[in-house]
Amino acid sequence: MRPFDPRVLAVAPAARRPVAVLAAVGVAQGAATIGTAFALAALVVAVVEGGGLGGPVAWLTGLLVVRAGLGWTSERVAAWAGVEVTAALRTVLLRRWLEVPAEQRPDPDRGATLSAQGVAAVEPYAARFLPALVAGAVVPVLAVAALVWVDWLSALVVVLTLPLLPLFAALIGAATRDETERRWEALSSLAGHFVDVMRGLPTLVGYGRAERQVEVIAEVSRRHRRATMRTLRLAFMSSAALELLASISVAIVAVTVGLRLTHGTVDLRTGLLAILLAPEAYWPIRRVGAEFHNAADGAEAVAAVLADVTTDPDSPVRGPSSPDELGVTARGLGYRHPGTDAPVLHEVDLEAGPGLTVVTGPSGVGKSTLLEVLAGLRTPTTGEVSAGRVHLVTQRPFLPAGTLRDALRLGTDAPDPALWEALRRVGLEGFVAGLPEALATRLGDDGVGLSAGQRARVALARATLSTAPVLLVDEPTAHLDAASSALVGDLLRELADRRTVLAVTHRPELVRVADQHVVLTRAGAEVHR
Amino acid sequence: MSAGPVVRPTRATVLGGLLGGAATSAGIALTATSGWLIVRASERPVILTLLAAIVAVRAFGMARPFFRYLERVVSHDAALADLADRRSSVYAALVPLTPARLGRRSRSQVLTGVVDDLTDVVEAQVRVTVPVLSSAVAGVLAAGLAAWFAPAVGLVVTGLLLVLALGCVLAWRVESRSRDELLAARAETARIGDLVARQAGELRAIGAQDVALGWLEEAHDALRRAVRRQSRGRAGVAALVLLGTAAATVAAAWLVDPAAVGAPVAALLVLVPVAVGEALAPLVDTMRALARAQGSSARLDALLDQRPAVHDPEHPAAAAVDRPGDGPRVRLEGASASWTGGADQLAPTDLDLVPGRHVAVVGPNGSGKSTLLAVLARTLDVSRGRHTVDGTDVRDRTLAGVRADVAVVDDEPHVFATTLAENLRLARPGADDDAVRAALGLAGLGGWLEGLPDGLGTRLGTGGRGLSGGERTRLGVARAVLADRPVVLLDEPAAHLDHPTATAVLDDVLDATRDRSVVLVSHRAEAIDRLDAVLDLGDRPASPLTKE
Repeated sequence: MRPFDPRVLAVAPAARRPVAVLAAVGVAQGAATIGTAFALAALVVAVVEGGGLGGPVAWLTGLLVVRAGLGWTSERVAAWAGVEVTAALRTVLLRRWLEVPAEQRPDPDRGATLSAQGVAAVEPYAARFLPALVAGAVVPVLAVAALVWVDWLSALVVVLTLPLLPLFAALIGAATRDETERRWEALSSLAGHFVDVMRGLPTLVGYGRAERQVEVIAEVSRRHRRATMRTLRLAFMSSAALELLASISVAIVAVTVGLRLTHGTVDLRTGLLAILLAPEAYWPIRRVGAEFHNAADGAEAVAAVLADVTTDPDSPVRGPSSPDELGVTARGLGYRHPGTDAPVLHEVDLEAGPGLTVVTGPSGVGKSTLLEVLAGLRTPTTGEVSAGRVHLVTQRPFLPAGTLRDALRLGTDAPDPALWEALRRVGLEGFVAGLPEALATRLGDDGVGLSAGQRARVALARATLSTAPVLLVDEPTAHLDAASSALVGDLLRELADRRTVLAVTHRPELVRVADQHVVLTRAGAEVHR
Repeated sequence: MSAGPVVRPTRATVLGGLLGGAATSAGIALTATSGWLIVRASERPVILTLLAAIVAVRAFGMARPFFRYLERVVSHDAALADLADRRSSVYAALVPLTPARLGRRSRSQVLTGVVDDLTDVVEAQVRVTVPVLSSAVAGVLAAGLAAWFAPAVGLVVTGLLLVLALGCVLAWRVESRSRDELLAARAETARIGDLVARQAGELRAIGAQDVALGWLEEAHDALRRAVRRQSRGRAGVAALVLLGTAAATVAAAWLVDPAAVGAPVAALLVLVPVAVGEALAPLVDTMRALARAQGSSARLDALLDQRPAVHDPEHPAAAAVDRPGDGPRVRLEGASASWTGGADQLAPTDLDLVPGRHVAVVGPNGSGKSTLLAVLARTLDVSRGRHTVDGTDVRDRTLAGVRADVAVVDDEPHVFATTLAENLRLARPGADDDAVRAALGLAGLGGWLEGLPDGLGTRLGTGGRGLSGGERTRLGVARAVLADRPVVLLDEPAAHLDHPTATAVLDDVLDATRDRSVVLVSHRAEAIDRLDAVLDLGDRPASPLTKE
């Protein structure tokens, strides 16, 4: 895992500016911190030696006010960067999923986890770890440079001891790696136990097994506590060891400077500066280490997003092959679901122009899959498809959470009169007009309050509003009674006067009025005209 | 049950706070004594007189990591002990509330939320109680020490502490006020992410890609606003700490009289405010954790303070011993029900489920299909009308007694992180491997089982083998088959499956449950054709069974 993967900036250009500002503020803060050490040393010298306080006080106040401003800014910028980097990555991810065919998208559960929790973990990574990383890279360098200028002997002590920190960290890490990994596995399974039985609570209650879990949870939590503490002790111990190393190094600087002061080889100001500057070289590096474990999830999520949006350069994204085309053509089309052996579609040839084409075939022969391949939602394993812009009405059409108006306008920006006209054509005008809030009626997450047949007709109404020259419809009358089915049949016939309409159906009435009838079989497609 | 106040000083947290106070104090003392040492050394005394200071500097340098280590061990151990207690007690409190009081949708999200909220509340010990105590201890020590040398400087340090406290209060208010807005904004971005992950194909099908990205942009804008508002809290404290440090240092420099206290102590006193400011800066983080834990605590209380929807009677009647036929006869007469105790979600409904009968329940969303199943599963009692099993009102019988006859299969069966066999056996403890295999076979998973390298010992769930949607549904069916309960309730078992899989799964389900009573809620016309009767809840008033 890399602390920072610069590919993020290439993949999500919107993240560039916040990260750059974050780095700039970090550098300015580092410089101001070093400056404060000089001003503080000058103030102490003035107090002790009885000089005028005015100059040092002005300097110190000025620098601390600047630092206060920078502190304010850096918190604001960090929060901004956190949200911008997260938003940029999530946008890139979702845009890709909306562009590629189904085979190139991750499994829905994995995708949902990645886009929600995964990407959210990037926020603390960008808001907290990246600033720490900048400080860790900038402040020690500035501190050592200032020390070299002020007192090279102290600088030498720091330069000799500073590398011990990462070295020590690496040694501790190497010595405990196997142990940590072994424990980590045990720990994550113990930690996962509670989430698991919690999510399964309804199932356990259903089978009368929930009460028994209370004791199991107590026992597993006790084991989790013991295992976690073993791991944590080790982690706290190594961070204490690093802090001790830094403390001893600073103490060495203090004591050597003290001894040299008693010999009069350095002056008070130099001595004070040395002890104020030396700690600035150590703590930023320790903070990087401390923030790293908070950032680990975020860094992993970044890697996962990058992997997802940059895979498969060989399988190009296929949009509508010829946007201006008015029909659909398929040649030698074959399709196999990823990870399965048996093809769903085999050697399908099909040509449909303006008019009504009806596709029939036994259940499970791949009619729905055919429509998805024609719509470009799936990439054919063999053969090719050429199609104009397509609107596909699936069997479980998507209705967004929102109003009926939102659902109808999805993909178009039709005004209300057009929406009413579309509802009239599918026979829902009266139903919607009878709703207390008509078009403003809210549908739930999944279209609450509509029966399956009403949902299907809303989706068809939406299809009539679409300007796509090719309309693919999957079982449009599956949930409808006879009268509604006849209405939908007439509607499809009417739409077919100006568009290419391709409908999968079982209804003989629709087959009779079709311009072309395609019977899909395991062996391919037979066309009847 | 109530989660109690978020900040609760206990013996362990007070000990942690004292240890943390010692560590923080050592840090402040390290800076101050280093300054003293340097200034004293510049007076060029005999080296021996410096030895005490040299030892002190080293001791403070070593004490800080030492005490910090102890503090972390003590406070984390206390938090984990607390977590262990609360996990089992919250779980026990949730059992009677499940499932009726967990909301009607996405219960697994509600339950995952409980896990997160509980963690937030418990973490407040480590992230709030201990650091606040530590800071208080160290701050008072520093102020006392300064006052001992120069009372005026003691007052200055006290003033700095008050400024810090004020900053914390302000930050806490900003954090608390923006907390809910921020949570809502984060939930909305997560919702859109989830939606696109699951519905990308449907969105492309209707050319709504740009609309979906527009939703995402809106959600991100809301998130930006909330984060910007919230960041004012931390930013304010960060700035205030430095401004306070500046004012206190300047004041200390003016007030210190090197002639009175000596030059080395004067240096020490000028450095104390800086050291205090640096040591207490981490307080910035505590207020966010506090606001968050308070929100989590309020949510947990709201969930756990509910009354169970159903409960055992005081004097339960025994189940009918000589049951006629193969299973119970379940009847609803004019039964209506409500999840909330307010308006009914199920209007008065009649149902006569004779043993072995297969009934489909249809109707628009919101017509009460799931409510009906909840009544039959006795996770909800009727608000009016009667619900009887073999002639006995179910409210006169124990919950366990009524539920033991019923197996529920919903659209999201949970797959536990254990072996395949254990995943099934929870439905009937003690079932032997042959019974488990037979149940899998009936649910249409026989072929799948043969293909598993470890057979029944294959680990499933988190960290184990993943299941497709169809396999998951079938696993839920296999559980119900193995449980061998005479009544099976199927709540849209195929809702999330694609068409061919859904048809195949429903076929297998109906075959596997042929000899039991079945109530099926489904949108699939083909499945409904195979059932004995159809109850249409959309066709009000609820009528006796009709076959379409």
